[in-house]
Amino acid sequence: MSGITGRHSVEGAADELNVAGNIREKTMTTLNRRAVSAGLGASLAALTTGRAAAQAAGLSFMSFSFAEEANKALVQKLLDDFAAESGVPAQPIGSAWGEVQRNLMLRQRSKTLPNSAQISERWLPSFASLPELVDLNDIVGKDKLEAAIDVNVLNVGRLNGKQLALPLATGSIGMVANREVLKKAGVDKLPETTAELRAALIAVRDKVPNSVPLTMATKNPNSIPLDVLIWVWSHGGRLIDESGKVVCDSAETTAAFDFMTGLMKDRLIAPEIDRPDSRRLFAQGASAFYVDAPQARTFIRTFSGRGQEADAMIAPMKTPVAKNGIEPVSMAWGNLVLFFKTGDAARDAVLPKWANYLFSDKVQTTFPLALSALPVTRSGRAAPAVANDPYFAEWGKATGVVRMHELGVWSNAPELSTIVSEETQAALLGQKTVAAAIQAMKPRLEASMAKRS
Amino acid sequence: MSIGVSIGGGALQVGAAPDLRVSPLAKRAGLKAAERRIGWLFMAPALVAFAAVILFPFLSALGLAFTRYDLQTPEPVFIGLRNFSEIAASPEIRQSFVVTFVFVSLATLFTIILALAWAIILNQPFRGRALVRTATIIPWVLPSTVSAFIWAWIFNSRFGLINAAMLELGFISQPVAWLSTSAGAMTAVVISKVWISIPVTMTFFLAGLQSVDREQIDAARVDGAGDFAVLRDHVLPHLRPVLLVVIVLAVIGNLQQFDKIFALTGGGPVRATTVLSIEVYRRAFDSWDIGMASAVGLLWVATIIPPAYFYLRHLLKGV
Repeated sequence: MSGITGRHSVEGAADELNVAGNIREKTMTTLNRRAVSAGLGASLAALTTGRAAAQAAGLSFMSFSFAEEANKALVQKLLDDFAAESGVPAQPIGSAWGEVQRNLMLRQRSKTLPNSAQISERWLPSFASLPELVDLNDIVGKDKLEAAIDVNVLNVGRLNGKQLALPLATGSIGMVANREVLKKAGVDKLPETTAELRAALIAVRDKVPNSVPLTMATKNPNSIPLDVLIWVWSHGGRLIDESGKVVCDSAETTAAFDFMTGLMKDRLIAPEIDRPDSRRLFAQGASAFYVDAPQARTFIRTFSGRGQEADAMIAPMKTPVAKNGIEPVSMAWGNLVLFFKTGDAARDAVLPKWANYLFSDKVQTTFPLALSALPVTRSGRAAPAVANDPYFAEWGKATGVVRMHELGVWSNAPELSTIVSEETQAALLGQKTVAAAIQAMKPRLEASMAKRS
Repeated sequence: MSIGVSIGGGALQVGAAPDLRVSPLAKRAGLKAAERRIGWLFMAPALVAFAAVILFPFLSALGLAFTRYDLQTPEPVFIGLRNFSEIAASPEIRQSFVVTFVFVSLATLFTIILALAWAIILNQPFRGRALVRTATIIPWVLPSTVSAFIWAWIFNSRFGLINAAMLELGFISQPVAWLSTSAGAMTAVVISKVWISIPVTMTFFLAGLQSVDREQIDAARVDGAGDFAVLRDHVLPHLRPVLLVVIVLAVIGNLQQFDKIFALTGGGPVRATTVLSIEVYRRAFDSWDIGMASAVGLLWVATIIPPAYFYLRHLLKGV
């Protein structure tokens, strides 16, 4: 530029201006490009650093208990204690119970899975094919797991010889009765047969105003199959047998559907009820019976606003059966924990620490109890707080025969649940007769099972 | 560079001229081309966003519609037209088309009728008109899920306003579970959609009514025309272009409807309010059959294309 500035003619000055302008323009262009490149680089670096920081941040744990008001503080404490003990920062991710499967699947497809997630035992087959799922036998050791936890309990998290999930809390799903509501209705004996149950429900309907005598799940497709299975089993029927054959058109299953539609017709159950509604209505003295896991106690304590005083209200009971010879049944229930690997050695090193922590005595003698569930370890179950808890003793006596969720054991469980829910709703709401609903359900279940195989 | 100038048939060479280009862009083509390039430059962010948010997912879904992609197949497997043959054989999906047709027809019809009536009322001079016009906008301002929950509570079987009022007035002896019957649930979703759509539709009509020739109407009235005749022979013909646009927009909007229905009924009871958008969602995120969800989604888009084409053609004609 110094050579140019030496000219003094007008033309030269104009040239100078033009050239200077061009240089400025070029310089600005260059600067802009540089700025843009630098900006992009900085952004990428920030993104990379941010991602790395997020990955190095420690443990992320998706939990449906954390999304429940009654249990939120428990999960936070579990993670805080883990962080304090291991030095690994731990972050809870709340997800409503009904959304966990959806959230995990979406996160898997967008490569944003958490390190670990709490699931219901019946969802495990749906996740079994995820390549990120860790076999706990590899990171903890089969011997160590079996030394601490009974094989029958471990089996809830086992599939195809792999320990794909760690049981965290366990129990069974059965019926609970509300002693206070039954007293108001003049019912002094817990029903043992479906006929006695029906009589008790009628008494509650007639003597307790604004009540829903049995708060059966009738609204949410995720919740309906559980109640349906309990009543189908109580009548000696099944929907799908162990071999995968659809057997929902038996006389016993039809009788169970007749029983449920009869309850709806007589206003002994109600539409628009989901499990959270059942818990609240029960806790508020507007329901006499419902189906839940032992953690019912924790919910009732919270929703009644009476804390431990509300324990007197809850009576675990054997599921009433249609006739003599049919054994009362419960459904196997458990909170499992999944562990997802990322391929990043530093990040994956957290997983064994977290797994070992979850079945340590420190956790097992506190966390499941606070959920009103049974610990999974031998030492946890032998702890005085568990062994001497009258509620657990009562629950144990009422358990009867424990069966696995008949739909949840199949990898196409979500589709099976949708089908059973839709056809059950159709029968309950009078859109179809029981025979028509079962007739429609059978080929739909068969088609889904055929697609699975 | 030199410029040759011809004067009276002779050629006069005037020597080298200075470079007169005003922009480096000008050397490559004319001004038009430069404008076009600038135009593309301005459009680029929108095009990138369109490609990333709409085009790529759409093409991806288009491809997935011909695959099996569910919980048993972690990667999509090409199966040709099998998803579409399953759709043709599925009474549940056929029912979704019927439900969509019923919902779109009812929601569009009632929105148009009520919004037009309300616009005519609000076009009349009366005290407090500005306040009423402002209040009319409130349903439109509310987030759609909030309005859906408001209606869910109104229709709730145990705590709902409708049951409380009807029990109080003695019209019913027991609470009715409105959202648990097919007709009740469809009525609820249509009411909820109409309620939220009236303000905007009414605004279109009100704008159209502002330009109606008052003298023409006064002349008609002098000739003995009643209210209905004025509406039929003067107001409606004047509103015809607005009416066409509003109907097409309402049909497109109702075909796309998801959030209000999902929040209010979840597509139930059973499948009574499962319109195509809910069907796609349930296939994708309840049953995890992404291939089938994409196939249904493709057919759903096909239902939206005719009114969208009609609307765009109308717009471009106007331009």
